[in-house]
Amino acid sequence: MKEPVGILSAVCHLPAHQRTVKDLFQEEGIGLSDEVASRLGIQQVPIRNGETASNMAVAAAREALQKAGVNPAQVDVIIEYSILPQEYLVPVWNMSNKVQAEVGAGKSFVVGFSGNGASNFLVALNCGVALLQENENLKTALLVTGDVTIPGNRVLNPADPVTVLGDAASAVVLRRGASGSVVMDTELSSEGANHDICYIPGGSLVHPDDLGLYRLELDKARYDAFPRVATLQKVSRTLLDRSGLQLDDVASVVSPNISAEDHQQLQPIFGGKIAGVCASNRETHGHLQGSDFVLNYLSLMESGSVCPGDYVLAASHGMGAMAGASLIRC
Amino acid sequence: MNTNIGIFAAEYYLPPKKKALSDIFRDEEMPAEPLAASVDFKKDIGIEAVHVAGDETAASLAINAAKRAIAHSGIDPQEIDFIIDFTSIPEDYVAPTWSAAGLVQREVGATRAFATAINTGGCASYQTTLKVACSLLSANERYQTALLIAGDKTPEFNHNYYPITVVSDGGSAVILKKNVERRRILGVEVATLGRLHDIWVIPGIHNRDPKDIGGKFPKWLHVCGDIARFNKELIPMNLFMFRKVMLGVLKQVGKKFEDVSYFIYPTFSAWDLKAFCEAFKVPKEKIFLDGLHHGHLQETDMVLDYVDAINAGRIKDGDLVMLTTNGAGFSWGATLVQH
Repeated sequence: MKEPVGILSAVCHLPAHQRTVKDLFQEEGIGLSDEVASRLGIQQVPIRNGETASNMAVAAAREALQKAGVNPAQVDVIIEYSILPQEYLVPVWNMSNKVQAEVGAGKSFVVGFSGNGASNFLVALNCGVALLQENENLKTALLVTGDVTIPGNRVLNPADPVTVLGDAASAVVLRRGASGSVVMDTELSSEGANHDICYIPGGSLVHPDDLGLYRLELDKARYDAFPRVATLQKVSRTLLDRSGLQLDDVASVVSPNISAEDHQQLQPIFGGKIAGVCASNRETHGHLQGSDFVLNYLSLMESGSVCPGDYVLAASHGMGAMAGASLIRC
Repeated sequence: MNTNIGIFAAEYYLPPKKKALSDIFRDEEMPAEPLAASVDFKKDIGIEAVHVAGDETAASLAINAAKRAIAHSGIDPQEIDFIIDFTSIPEDYVAPTWSAAGLVQREVGATRAFATAINTGGCASYQTTLKVACSLLSANERYQTALLIAGDKTPEFNHNYYPITVVSDGGSAVILKKNVERRRILGVEVATLGRLHDIWVIPGIHNRDPKDIGGKFPKWLHVCGDIARFNKELIPMNLFMFRKVMLGVLKQVGKKFEDVSYFIYPTFSAWDLKAFCEAFKVPKEKIFLDGLHHGHLQETDMVLDYVDAINAGRIKDGDLVMLTTNGAGFSWGATLVQH
């Protein structure tokens, strides 16, 4: 039997500065109707005040290590799960190397993941658990991200807004053999045809010099057409079946804070178990990419609504490209 | 870790068009900073020409390699449980938002797989990816088959990676399988020096100086190396880190340096290969040197040289093969494969 991998600490580093969605729509020249406002269910989002994505990630990493009581020199691997562009172009550069240097994780190596929407956090979690379970010399992992929105690109798909993006960083410390919340299993499923539903066309090889295309674009027609709810249901059921559990055994579900509409669409497949903290965090923070999971998990733990031994399901449709679900036993 | 995971198939794809070294030096800017090593970059590099993708996309290079690997292996694409893209330079669209993994999944018909990308390690991303992929295969009973892919296309005028090498375009693909008896991956060791993270970068459209647009040496998407720090901070650590990862992986699996039958090392340059061989007393017959005629292919060097070494009969049944490289970030990796 494999030794379980537990969550020693989780931290969100959020900029103190907040902007209202109303202001952001106005700034980006988009009309905000009552119908759109209701569909989004987002009031405000945190916005950086000059900090870089990697500096926020370093701050989150330091705080997570301190909270876990882990000396940075004990970290064996740093796993990065950002979604938005970093200071320099990825994959030649990745903030995880800077995090390694800045937090003093001298003996660790780094791994970063691309291309999975908010599910990138679940990919990182899955691989983190596998690395710790299968390599005797790896015991402690630091998962980290920092996501900063492209200026003028906070409203995703202005013609028919889908979400509003905030800036955030988060970090999670995993340890093999740790007690407390244990990561039980993860199920992941990709739909390759959707690789370009949500992407940034400009600034890379296909459109190297078109600054106008340097923005997160969503193909709304294909996004709507993809059966993301059914896919996520299938992924979650597969995961629970493998663990010998049913949805009734799950105390709570955390999912990304994309919109009120998204939460409403997902609630029925989870029997209404998407935690209330997801809705409240969505209203006050908007969508923070993979950090949504960490923020919602922390809020759920602090809310006192889950008890030791309860199962929590973390699930995301990954904007069509990657559906994923992780099972955590608190 | 399960040590019955092996390299079931490995293939590469190189675009047919080539560009001569003299034309690269004619068309591209050469930094003025001298190289610490006592070599003449232009004369001593040992590379005569590189492959250029032209109209082919970076993803198409990976897809071609993946299709070759699948055909060679004889597997049904629906057997593939996961795909990992380990490309180490910018792709068709901006990362980390996008990777070619999903597109490859679609094109090869790997409908059961999940597709992701590892975006760290530079040219050592293959080692990082092998470590993650082997761990995933070993940890999850349901995973039996993995497809690792890469496709690298440099901008037309960025083949000169002074002071390291000149780079070629190409793709590679590797199929890993559980419960194999040959080409078993015994262990992988990876190490990174995070403080060197900003020695080798590509600024990106959001922080690029407009004066770099156009002119004799257009610089969109071009790598920028801090040569002074390269000389002062990287060079002195390089062989130490190679030693660390190679001894690390040997210790993992209870082997000695003398047990290694053959080495696969990146084809950065003739002088770099010579320095590695001298430092670790590796005789010429125990290391693959022929790859220089392709130029340097980023992380794909590890796959291409391995495939060519097997095809040339340099690696034989029973051989213990060490694949080792370094890459931007900076990272070093070493893998032991038992033939």
